[in-house]
Amino acid sequence: MEQINLAAPAPVPVKSKRRPLSWNRIIGFILLLLVTVIMLAPLWFMVTTSLKNSKEMLAFPPTLIPQTFAWENFSELFTNTEIKFGQQYMNSLIVGVLAVIGTLLSSSLVAFGFARYHTKVSNLMFMLVLSTLMLPYPAIMIPQFLLFTKMGMHDTLLPLILPNFFGSAYMIFLLRQFFSSIPNELYDAGRMDGCSEFRLFANLTLPLAGPALATCAIFTFIWNWNDLLTPVLYLDSQENFTLPVGLASMMSSKFRLAPWNLLMAASILSSLPIIVLFTVAQRRFVEGIVLTGIK
Amino acid sequence: MKKRWLSAILCVSLVTVLAGCGGGSKSAEENGVVTITHYTIDSPDRTFVEKLIPDFEKKHPNIKIKVTKAPYEQFDSKLQSAIAAKNGPDVTSQWGYGGFMEYYNKGMLADLTPYLKDFKASDYNIPENLMDIYKVDGKTYGIPLNSYVSVLLYNKDLFDKAGVAYPPTDYEDKSWTFDKMVENAKKLTVDSKNLAEAQYGLDFGWGERDQRPQYFGADVYSEDTWTNGGKPSQINLDKPNVIDAYKQIYSLIWEKKVSPTPAFSKSVSGQFGDPFLSGKIGMSAVGSWSLASSNNFNFKVGVAAIPQGPNEKVRSVLYVDPLFVLKDSKHPKEALEWIKYLITTEVQEKSIELSGGNPPVNQKAAEKYYASFEGIEPAQIKQVYEGAFKYGFESYNHLMDNYSQINELFINELAGVENGEKKVEDVLPVIQEKLKKLLDRVNK
Amino acid sequence: MAGKIRRRETRSFYAFISPWLIGFIVLTLYPILSSLYYSFTDYDVIHEPVWVGFGNFNELFQDEQFWNSISVTLKYTFVSVPLTLTLSLLLAILINQKVPLQGFFRTAIYFPSMISGVAMSLLFFWVFNPQAGLFNYVLSWFGVEPIAWLLDARYAMTALIIMSFWGMGTGMLIFLAGLQGVPASLLEAAKLDGAGRWRTFWAVTFPMISPVFLFQFIVGIIESFQVFTQAYTVTQGGPSYSTWFYVYNIYINAFKNFRYGYASAMAWLLLIAVMIVTYLIMKTSNKYVYYEGGKN
Repeated sequence: MEQINLAAPAPVPVKSKRRPLSWNRIIGFILLLLVTVIMLAPLWFMVTTSLKNSKEMLAFPPTLIPQTFAWENFSELFTNTEIKFGQQYMNSLIVGVLAVIGTLLSSSLVAFGFARYHTKVSNLMFMLVLSTLMLPYPAIMIPQFLLFTKMGMHDTLLPLILPNFFGSAYMIFLLRQFFSSIPNELYDAGRMDGCSEFRLFANLTLPLAGPALATCAIFTFIWNWNDLLTPVLYLDSQENFTLPVGLASMMSSKFRLAPWNLLMAASILSSLPIIVLFTVAQRRFVEGIVLTGIK
Repeated sequence: MKKRWLSAILCVSLVTVLAGCGGGSKSAEENGVVTITHYTIDSPDRTFVEKLIPDFEKKHPNIKIKVTKAPYEQFDSKLQSAIAAKNGPDVTSQWGYGGFMEYYNKGMLADLTPYLKDFKASDYNIPENLMDIYKVDGKTYGIPLNSYVSVLLYNKDLFDKAGVAYPPTDYEDKSWTFDKMVENAKKLTVDSKNLAEAQYGLDFGWGERDQRPQYFGADVYSEDTWTNGGKPSQINLDKPNVIDAYKQIYSLIWEKKVSPTPAFSKSVSGQFGDPFLSGKIGMSAVGSWSLASSNNFNFKVGVAAIPQGPNEKVRSVLYVDPLFVLKDSKHPKEALEWIKYLITTEVQEKSIELSGGNPPVNQKAAEKYYASFEGIEPAQIKQVYEGAFKYGFESYNHLMDNYSQINELFINELAGVENGEKKVEDVLPVIQEKLKKLLDRVNK
Repeated sequence: MAGKIRRRETRSFYAFISPWLIGFIVLTLYPILSSLYYSFTDYDVIHEPVWVGFGNFNELFQDEQFWNSISVTLKYTFVSVPLTLTLSLLLAILINQKVPLQGFFRTAIYFPSMISGVAMSLLFFWVFNPQAGLFNYVLSWFGVEPIAWLLDARYAMTALIIMSFWGMGTGMLIFLAGLQGVPASLLEAAKLDGAGRWRTFWAVTFPMISPVFLFQFIVGIIESFQVFTQAYTVTQGGPSYSTWFYVYNIYINAFKNFRYGYASAMAWLLLIAVMIVTYLIMKTSNKYVYYEGGKN
């Protein structure tokens, strides 16, 4: 009974709720409240620090609410030509968007191939795809690095973007599962109508795969957005940095004081796209976490 | 229609791949125009050369200059990989952890002697002894560009507040000793838990960690290191005088408490930043590049001589940065034209302002350098520089092979001492042993 | 006729998978094989690789730094992964109890996981700042003397492990989904049989989500074998090598010390370690497939 009542928590004040408040729940609630405070405290610190001026930043004990709101910290990120934050933001967006396009195009094609055709060879190849799921990047980064460097792609965004155009094992796996669940009758019908294989893919399958593709898109974007190791290897000049390298180098600059307030402002801005994604597509987002996490 | 879509995708991805592949070959020699790549650290006191290019290209219509950059921490690795990819620069310097000897031993540098027949250092007001630094067996491998020295920067505001007299600029002033400096430092120190109040008298960042004992008259490496291509036959970290030197260095933090702990420094300045800039350090013994942006500091800066320490001969570390032409350069002659341009009096003078204050190697231009700092008498800087040259020793990182690995070892092992967890006499034997292993491996 | 169709099918199969196939050969297979080759050579990129047989591996096994990096990585793995997982399961259970503000808690606890790794590292370098940081400030309420955390070799690893707790949100979401997938009928049945909460959890709920737990555990281990961001961004492996993670060691050896052969040998050992852990996944996956199948 209880479960039915609470399945959709109604916006009723707690007091008026009729259900018996068991001690378990009260303790649970208090614990969760405590955990939430702990989880959010550093983020609060991040937000307040980003708004402090350089003097207040170093005050002890730290002020919990900034005395002056130094909004100029945010604008300084874009106006300070030494930091090149705007350019780096742009680079990250370029990499993220192109990576999503590349991964969606290639992975959906490949996944369709694997979902439609079952032969000994195709099964074997699919095993290969699976085996690369867990492949640690460090195991292949050195030769990959030498390869891309010899191709003259050093200090360009290409080594970060191009690999996405060859399919991602994770996404191939995810989409294949999805495509396999589409009943064969649909394809048979399509073929009756004289559809080519490619049209079966493009006209029949893809439109059905919208949600799965959205999940893929979200996660490809996040992975590429947050990646540090690859850009560290390939990118040399500040104007080519993606945000993670840019942030790290702001921190380690040998010739400047670490501007903590600016760093925190930059961190907030760099997390913004992910937070926006989460807010606008929360369901897909959570679904994606659950799917990729489990599979 | 949909098919077209697919082929479009394939085309796009193919084109991107191919375009990437094509990027490797340099489109250099069109109509006899040659492109010279100048590789440098990505910091404003280096990248200013970009502003000199239009003028140079106007004077040399057949040469184009392209600047490539990397962050300081990755300068060496990026250089190495560029060379490996046959995409190395033509001109660069020892701007990373490694230095001349490392590059030389790796066979990365071009011998410039054949192109220097008409070259006279005196035309560029470069002292001969500076030219000699980059000669091996009479062959020249580098042309000096900037010469940095050790300086003692001090925060005039803190001195005024504590009522302490400013330190002298004269290296011959015998009253200016290490002990005197420490005594001053004590007066300037406020040891407090409150970061807003705490301040320290002295940050002794003299040379890199392995060179620092030299100031106290102790050498970490055997004498032959400086003559055999930077490969020490012996390491002296077990010698009492070296141990003593390190004890003196770190007693500044932990016994005398006049120097900031790494925790303090990193609290105010981040992982690699210079705590002096926070305005909470009275005196800082550093390389003179720290003076470069001093006009922007939010306190008044003074420059003083490094005081007389236990070592009568060496009181300053010299960092003479040269320009090298790399061996794989297809146009060493044109590269040299660019280098020569950069050391002319006119360009060296212009560079001082553009760079925010790089000390020119050209002694005529140096006069202008001395006069380019607000609130500091030109004569004072000149005196500090001249004294530093007289009592100077070239920085180890320019002289030793495989320096980046050696330096990394010192940084990590000594961190325990700097944090106050470990004792000098416990850590040095560990470094001694590890360093031996390292040298055995790299020098085999 | 049939042969013709099959040929056509084969053709379109290869057409569809060609992006992956090309990518696999060029960007995975070739790098794996050449790094295997490099691992038996001395290679500094400037000079040609020199064959040294098992030289690199011999040296590795005597290299203190190598063993240190393994011990650092394992320390992190075996404290952080189980703790984070258990805590996130506990949180999921708490939230699943239909407490008020359920949605808020879920979002709030997940929120820190949305901050990118580098931003998180920077934030915690600041939170752990010995003087002006939040952490020591809170501890000071309890009379704890300031600790230098990431700047002190004794505490740096602890600090990184503490920091990893802020990534609990992902695990929590996954477990929550798992818990919500446990059929209500089963729970009802257990209740009718007179099982208490505790008993119901261990007899019904946990077996239902244990495959998820196990899988999370293994993935967590593989991921933590590859920790790099924290070491690169805030500690540079220090102080005194106390956060010198395995992948950081590979990075330094390859891209700073130019020992590509030596680093490749290390990379291969990592690959083998991951393969062993992956094998464990395979072994447990049967159980998992059964569970999934049963649900449909």
